[in-house]
Amino acid sequence: MPARMTSEASERQRRVRRSALLWMLIAAGFYFGFIVLALVRAAK
Amino acid sequence: MADSHTHAAAQDDHDHKPHGWRRWVYATNHKDIGTMYLIFACTMFFIGGAMAMVIRLELFKPGLQFVDPQFFNSMTTMHALVMIFGAVMPGWTGLANWMIPMQTGAPDMALPRLNNFSFWILPFAFTLLLSSLFVPGGAPAGGWTMYPPLVLQNGASFPMLIFAIHLMGASSILGAINVVVTIMNMRAPGMTLLRMPLFVWTWLITAYLLIAVMPVLAGAVTMLLTDHFFGTTFFTAAGGGDPVMFQHIFWFFGHPEVYILILPAFGIVSEVIPTFSRKPLFGYEAMVYAVASIAFLSFIVWAHHMFTVGMPLAAQLFFMLSTMLIAVPTGVKVFNWTATMWRGSLSFEPPMLFALAFLFLFTIGGFSGLMLAIVPADYQYQDTYFVVAHFHYVLVPGSIFGMMAGVYYWLPKWTGHMYDLKLAKWHFWLSAIFVNVLFFPQHFLGLAGMPRRIPDYAVQFTDWNMVSSIGGFAFGLSQFLFPYIIWKCVRGGERIGNRAWEGAHGLEWELPSPPPYHSWTTPPSDAVIARGAAH
Repeated sequence: MPARMTSEASERQRRVRRSALLWMLIAAGFYFGFIVLALVRAAK
Repeated sequence: MADSHTHAAAQDDHDHKPHGWRRWVYATNHKDIGTMYLIFACTMFFIGGAMAMVIRLELFKPGLQFVDPQFFNSMTTMHALVMIFGAVMPGWTGLANWMIPMQTGAPDMALPRLNNFSFWILPFAFTLLLSSLFVPGGAPAGGWTMYPPLVLQNGASFPMLIFAIHLMGASSILGAINVVVTIMNMRAPGMTLLRMPLFVWTWLITAYLLIAVMPVLAGAVTMLLTDHFFGTTFFTAAGGGDPVMFQHIFWFFGHPEVYILILPAFGIVSEVIPTFSRKPLFGYEAMVYAVASIAFLSFIVWAHHMFTVGMPLAAQLFFMLSTMLIAVPTGVKVFNWTATMWRGSLSFEPPMLFALAFLFLFTIGGFSGLMLAIVPADYQYQDTYFVVAHFHYVLVPGSIFGMMAGVYYWLPKWTGHMYDLKLAKWHFWLSAIFVNVLFFPQHFLGLAGMPRRIPDYAVQFTDWNMVSSIGGFAFGLSQFLFPYIIWKCVRGGERIGNRAWEGAHGLEWELPSPPPYHSWTTPPSDAVIARGAAH
């Protein structure tokens, strides 16, 4: 039972870390995306 | 017996908390961080409020009375920045920190150290922003919207403003990521999405909005920074740039930002009204879908803030109609709150009073918003006090009253004491009366043509400005009751049980009052969750 709990907890920890990184990437995408958008528009 | 001793010792261990300054500087507990956010927000509310008092003092009479125009412009700019980024947003994050784990059966936020970091960025950001008041040239004075080319003419305060905005943005994004990750991964088994309280739902959607739009603001101000210091011309017409493009990017952030400021208030009102009506919320699922629809629509209405810059007729029509469309899900919400009260057993404790004032006064702000959405009418209202009246009705009796309803609702849970109800009712009535004395006349001023962001005005606007200023001073003074009531409640008062309000439902009311330092270390059972989720 304790072993199962530990694996559940570590699985949750992995999920938390993965989803936090994903959302950070999305935020960074919006940041750089809008700057690139402005650059592309300026180049036209 | 041995078992019970062991259990008690384990509980003691659970409730072990660090003492002294380390508890706060190294805080990872969601309740401690929530408390710090709320204290920070309250401090900023009074600093931003003091700036508003300077504005109203100067506008009490026509002519220049107390401050020079540059300083007046700094006050309008800083008041907005402090209130939006310093008071309302951290206030909501504080409530999220306190309540989301307790309401979802989670032991804490998913990323406690990131949570600490998100909070401690803020004091540095606002020290930087506020210290710009003391640099040569004064604080930023070009409006919180930071439109170029005006903002590029700021002196030494410009880089301070830009860096402060980046810091606030980083804090908000990290806080929002924590909220999303907590809600999606840390809920107790059995706490399905459609069993979550509306406050959690509204915060989840708010967090998605934050992640999407705060980086856009950061991108926009980074481009301002490079225009100012590195010779780029993103927004400088002389170099082929386009100042109007900044407005488009800014408002792509700015309009969802309005909903970031108001959606958590929707959540709180959806908790408070059922409790004091002693009825389940009418149309729970419709409320969730309405919030999601409002959030989606908030991304496609931004140009209604800038109709007068000139845009094709098709664009004007699109932004006008999409803006009006927001009235539909908002109407669903107002209808459902009203229907929840219908034939309910109503009582009028302070949280309910604030929620009811929210319902009436936010709706007034919504209606004036509809007027502003009409393109030809907006050409008349643009940059007048009508706009000021509109967004203050949305943000003060909307966001601020919603937050106050939340604090008065959960304060007995947080402290284990009932606060001084009589004094809280005084706080409500003074706030509700004077917020209208303060902001309602601004509709008349705007319709009569008084422009916003000016320290002086034509004499025909004198009377309503005097009324508005008197309302402002009285509203400002009455707010001192709020921290006093909280302080008094923290220090003591009538002890309350788990359920401070007899009609309250939700997991937080299953915990003792005050809750243990570490709550839900064992997830609640399905029966407890089902009892709490009696929407």
